[in-house]
Parts: sequence; C-alpha cells; structure tokens
Amino acid sequence: MSAVAMQEPPEGVAPEMLAAMRGLPGSGNRKLDAYRQACVDTFGRSGIPTMRHEDWKYTDLPRVLTPWWSRLCTPAAGDALFDAGVLDALRLNDLDAQRLVFVDGHFHPGLSDAPLAGGDGLYAGPLAPLLDMPPSWLILDAGESEAPLYHGLNAANGALFTDGLAVHVPAGKALPRPVQAIFLSRSGQVSHPRNHVDLAAGARATVIEQYASIQAPDREEGALDNAVSRIALAEGAELTHYRLQQLGPHDVHLGRVQVDQEGGRYAAHAVNLGGQLCRLDIVAGLQREGAGCELNGLYMAGGLQHTDCHTRIDHHAPACSSREFFKGVLDGRAHAVFNGKIVVYPDAQKTDSAQSNANLVLSRQAEIDTKPELEIYADDVKCAHGATVGQLDANQLFYLRSRGFSEAAAKQTLTVAFADEVLARMPHPEVRAYLERVGLSRLAAAAEVLA
Amino acid sequence: MLKIEDLHAAVDGKPILKGINLEVGAGEVHAIMGPNGSGKSTLSNVIAGRDGYEVTRGSITYNGRDLLAMSPEERAWEGVFLAFQYPVEIPGVNNVYLLKAGLNAKRKHQGLPELDAIDFMGLVRDKASLVQLDPDFLKRSVNEGFSGGEKKRNEIFQMAVLEPRLAILDETDSGLDIDALRIVADGVNKLRSPERSIVMVTHYQRLLDYIEPDVVHVLADGRILKSGDKRLARELESRGYEWVLEEAAA
Repeated sequence: MSAVAMQEPPEGVAPEMLAAMRGLPGSGNRKLDAYRQACVDTFGRSGIPTMRHEDWKYTDLPRVLTPWWSRLCTPAAGDALFDAGVLDALRLNDLDAQRLVFVDGHFHPGLSDAPLAGGDGLYAGPLAPLLDMPPSWLILDAGESEAPLYHGLNAANGALFTDGLAVHVPAGKALPRPVQAIFLSRSGQVSHPRNHVDLAAGARATVIEQYASIQAPDREEGALDNAVSRIALAEGAELTHYRLQQLGPHDVHLGRVQVDQEGGRYAAHAVNLGGQLCRLDIVAGLQREGAGCELNGLYMAGGLQHTDCHTRIDHHAPACSSREFFKGVLDGRAHAVFNGKIVVYPDAQKTDSAQSNANLVLSRQAEIDTKPELEIYADDVKCAHGATVGQLDANQLFYLRSRGFSEAAAKQTLTVAFADEVLARMPHPEVRAYLERVGLSRLAAAAEVLA
Repeated sequence: MLKIEDLHAAVDGKPILKGINLEVGAGEVHAIMGPNGSGKSTLSNVIAGRDGYEVTRGSITYNGRDLLAMSPEERAWEGVFLAFQYPVEIPGVNNVYLLKAGLNAKRKHQGLPELDAIDFMGLVRDKASLVQLDPDFLKRSVNEGFSGGEKKRNEIFQMAVLEPRLAILDETDSGLDIDALRIVADGVNKLRSPERSIVMVTHYQRLLDYIEPDVVHVLADGRILKSGDKRLARELESRGYEWVLEEAAA
C-alpha cells in the first residue's frame, strides 16, 4: 500500500491511549494488558486509511475523525443521567428479550435485565466483569490486526474498550431468549463498545446489537461510536445476529464485525438507518468444511447522510456456502457505498456463494457506489453476484394511485416493499414489524432535515 | 356522468387523439371499438390520468367537474376506475393491503369511517366469489405470478371492491380464453347498475356477446367516426373497420 493511502494519527494520541488504558476494566490482568498494549502499537503503526486507500475510496475517515482526536482517549464516565423514555422507542415491539443497556460504552444495571450466568459456563451479560480474569473463550488476539479491513480505529477500540456484550453458550446449549444489547451515546461523547459472542459446538443464540443516541436538543453535536464485535462459531453452532444502527443525524458510527466460523451457521441482519456517517465492515471467515454464512443488510439514507458498508467473506475450506443480500434506499443528497468482496481460496472447492446488492434511488441528488469483488482460486465453485441501481417504477406508482393511493403513500408503499425483501429474511416477526415502522419514519425525517 | 369535448392528446409530441366527443350517461354501458393504433388505450389512460399523455385541447367533465384538473388518486376517490390492459405486478405489496388502503383512502375522502380489518375481509371474500377468485390469492403480492386470466379477474375484483361510478375497461378481454372471458363478463354484468357507467375499450366484438352495450362507437385515427347500437358491433365483426373509414372519408 502506498504511503499516501495511510495517514498517521496525530502525535500524542498513542501515549494518551497508554495512559488511559490504566484506568480501564481488567487493567492489571496480564493477558488483557498485553492485548491493549499491542493494540496501541498497531494503532501507531497502521495509521488511518485515507481516500487513496482502495477500501476507503468514498469515505473520508481522516476528515470524519478530525474533531474527535482530542476526545478519542477520554470515553465518558459511566454515570450518565438521561430520560429512560428513550428506551421505549427502541423496544422491538413485543419481542421477549434479555435487555442490556450501555450508555457511552458503560453498562447501566438499573435499566438492564440481570446477566445470565449458568454453572455450565453459559453467560450473557456485560463484558467488563469478565475482564479481571478473562475466560478462555474470550478472544484477545493481537493477530487480528492482520485480518481483512482492519484499520487503526479498530485498534483504538482494542486499546480503549470499556464494556459491551459478552455471550458464551456451551456445547449443545441455547440461550433461552434473544439478548438485546442497546448502546446509547450522548452528544459529544466517544464510546468504544466491544462485543464478544462465542458459541461452542451445536450451541444456539440470537443476539441483537442496537445503536442509538440521546441527542441533546440544544446541540448540533453528535456522538462517535467506535464498535467492534468478535464472533466465533464452532461446528454445528447457530447464531442469528441483528445489528441495528439507528443513530441520530449528527452521529458518527464506525463498526466492525469479525466472524470466525469453525463450522455452523451464521446469519447477520445488518440494518443501517441513522448517523451522519456510518461505516460498517463485516468480515467472515469460513474455516471448516460445510460452514454456512448469510449476510443480509439494509441501508436507508436521506438528507446528507453517508453510509458505507464493506463486507468480506473468505472461503478457506471446501463445501462452505455464503449468501449475501443487501439492499439500499437513498433519498435526498445521501451517499451510499456497498462493497462485497468474496475470496475463494484454492482449498475451497465446492464453494457455493451468491451475492446481490440492489439499490433504490429516490432522488436525483443521491449517489450510490456499489461494487462486487470476487477473487476465486479454486476451479469447482459456484459464485453468483449482481448489483443493481434503480428508481421507483412509474407503472407501479400509477397503478397504486389509480386505486386511490396518494402519490406520497404510493412511493412509501413501494419503498417499503423494496426494503421488505431484506426484512422478510429475518426470523423474528417482531423485529421485522419494528423496522418497517422505524425505517419509514427515518426516511421522512431525513427528508425534512434537507428541506 | 362523463362528457368529453373536442379532446386532443399527444404522446411524446405525437398527436394521438384528434377531437374526441363522447357523452356517457349514468348507468350506460358504452363500447369503444377500433383498429390497433386508433387511440383506444390513449383515451383510457387520459381519463385515468396517467403521466406522459398530454392533453393539447378540449375538456373532460365528470359529474360536472373538470376531470383533467384532478390527480389520478382524486379521480379514484371520486369514483373513476381503470381496469388495466396490462395489470402491473407489484412484488412485496399484497392484494389485501392494496385494496384496504385504496378503499379507505376513498372512504376518508367521502367523509366515511375507515373499514376495520374484519368488515373489510368480509367484504373482500364476498367480492372475490364474484369473479371466482380463490381467497388465498388475497395474501399474495399484487398480480405477481398471476396468469393473464387471473390478472384480468383481479382487475374486475378490484372494481367490485372499490365500487366506482365510472369504470373504464381497457382491453379487458385480451389474452383471455373463453372460460375466463365468461367469468370476467359475468362479474362485470353483476356490477352493472343504474348509478354506474361502464366504458369498454376493445378490439374484438366477442366481449360484447357477453356484456351487452347500450352504445357502440368506432374510434379510428383519434376520432370517433361512427356510433350506433349493438348491431354496429356485429357489422364490424363481419365487415371489418375499412368501410367505416371509407364512409367517414367520403
């Protein structure tokens, strides 16, 4: 990579990081300290990708980070007071879930259900209490910096994370109900949420990450979320993973999901609705024969929103399958980026992979850059891909209006129908119904911001 | 009910309708016949308000109001219904939703309360039997994967639910086999009433064997050249359109 593709972080940030580490949960544990130290080193070494970097061609990370450098290493204290009513809007209809609330990256026990801890090692709760004696399943691996799409802010997360969701399900067990981890960020605050999900052989779970913010009404300032999730599935494990990003119009969201599969079935349902800027990287590695991975995604952006989703699936082993289905709805002057890279290594014969990305563009000023990337080094594989960009169909609009739909209702109905194809793949109808409602009001609100 | 005067319309700048005059009274059934390219579908689309059809002269008055000043949805609320020649497939929008939203928008416009789910489903089941539609299809996406015959039956079913005062049937007989044609025609006949006017646009006479019109018009080259009763349709069937054109030219 040429030098201009990377920018060094401002001087002083790395030393500040080292100082900040000492006050973080688990400090003093050798394993964790070594990991955090290695992350600081990586941060200093790897730098911040600029728009010259192929993976960051459309998203100007250095510019986004400029106002945040001075605060990057000073995550908010965990004693925030706020109107808990904000949580009502995040309730996934009547889904019965174990709710865990984090505010600015700190667990909020008063608003949360009790952690789940079984004698057999089953755990679903906050991560921080585990850090004084990290269990063996907790991946604290500095080598992760070699993984695809890894960048300096991911390392910053490793150095500075305060808390997040931890789930471990032992072999053959299942979580009794979905875990819903809600991450709330307040105006002007930086948070580095860190999530670890580990499913042993044959284990099953549903995990929901939900990102939202508490916007101070008098401030135009947003929050910075810098989230990382590490997920590991053993053979026969099944994980349904919802990731709902519903931040406010001034917030910045950087997210990374890294999935390592020694088999099993992983299904992601990644929905990006909010944020002034959102960049999500999903990286899945299929390491063992027969593993299956499904990435479903929906991004909706209006106004001046920028949303960028990069996915990468590595087929290392034979006879694995991957299905990728992403859709985008763009209005106003929004800009969306989708990049789906699939790599099939020489050993991965009989790979069965399909990827599609469809985009609905509602305004002339919106922009979408979509790119499928296939690298195939095996000869007996099936790899399908397709990307489309289209507008609402004039015949369908007229048909609905001729049946009495107002123009706005007809547009809305067709937009929902378009997005519904992603939602229909979600196994929980409560989440689907919730997103239909929220997605629509998001688009309407984004339109108002622009007007 | 409907009064069209000296209507001129163009598509992409090309004149298609060149002075249509037509009056349809309440409860009347009119058939508009004509060769391909005569402007039949353009007339249907202008009445329903489709984009891309530019009215360059003339007027359409509907129940005393200027129809051309109304949006497509206002026309629907006021009781205008177009049965499409090519019904549109809308994946992801189911039939029940389409009809419930359409009907309730119309009721709201009329100052009537919206129908609740139970009343609505009762209504819909009644009307579905009118055109022998399997109620299961209601849960399916609008016209998606429907056969040609099912699509046309669905149009008439929608007409039954929305209860228009003026229904334009655009080539409703095209693409139908004889059994489907009979079912569709039976459905239309059951919807005939003194308050409801129907304009059938068709290329063939055979639809008129099943739905008997009060008036038959011959449309050619953008004008109505001849009008008569149902015997005119029979004559067209046996003699073709040529003689009407020649007669008009003379």
